[in-house]
Amino acid sequence: MKAHRLFLDRVTGYADEAAAYLRRRRLTRKPFARVWWEGGRGEALEADSEAGRALFLAAAHLIAAARLDGGMAKGGSS
Amino acid sequence: MSDAIATRLPSEADAASALARFGEMSADLQGAAIVDAAGSVLAATGDRDAWGRAATELLAAADAVAPGLAARAHVGTEDGEAFALRHGGLGIVAVAERFTLASLMLFDMRSVVRDLVSPAAANGPAQGAGSS
Repeated sequence: MKAHRLFLDRVTGYADEAAAYLRRRRLTRKPFARVWWEGGRGEALEADSEAGRALFLAAAHLIAAARLDGGMAKGGSS
Repeated sequence: MSDAIATRLPSEADAASALARFGEMSADLQGAAIVDAAGSVLAATGDRDAWGRAATELLAAADAVAPGLAARAHVGTEDGEAFALRHGGLGIVAVAERFTLASLMLFDMRSVVRDLVSPAAANGPAQGAGSS
């Protein structure tokens, strides 16, 4: 086998592995909420907790506002 | 938070310019707004009332998690990712596509607000990092 074929096969193999990793990540990733305070302290919130529900609801409203914009490419700052 | 409170409130024009710069820096950005400490919208990429309500709600929800003002929050949903960050007495909220690089998004948000709070910093060396 020619050297450049070996190189191409190896690069293709790495790319396939990376694509598979990203597919798995997209499939398995669950919604999450995290909050940090000054000093670096952070906390992950469960979706079924009261604070977590409030965060997910607020995030949904924010995402809805962004959807109304129609995307940054079209909208200018007001 | 230890960030200095903004000694002067940036103008709405400055905030709008900052948001435009934010949009150029962050390829995954879908929308954003900058609010003052009272929750009034200084600039938004769309309907100011809708962004103002949503921004206030997200910051309040983050603050309600524990005593003290939250410095930043990140919520990942199936429809997109929501971010909130406070710096220098200002708040910035943003929505990005799913699976965006959160650290870069938060870096860009902090950079935008920092430049807004202290304009001198914006005239120095380039500080932004593009997220893609």
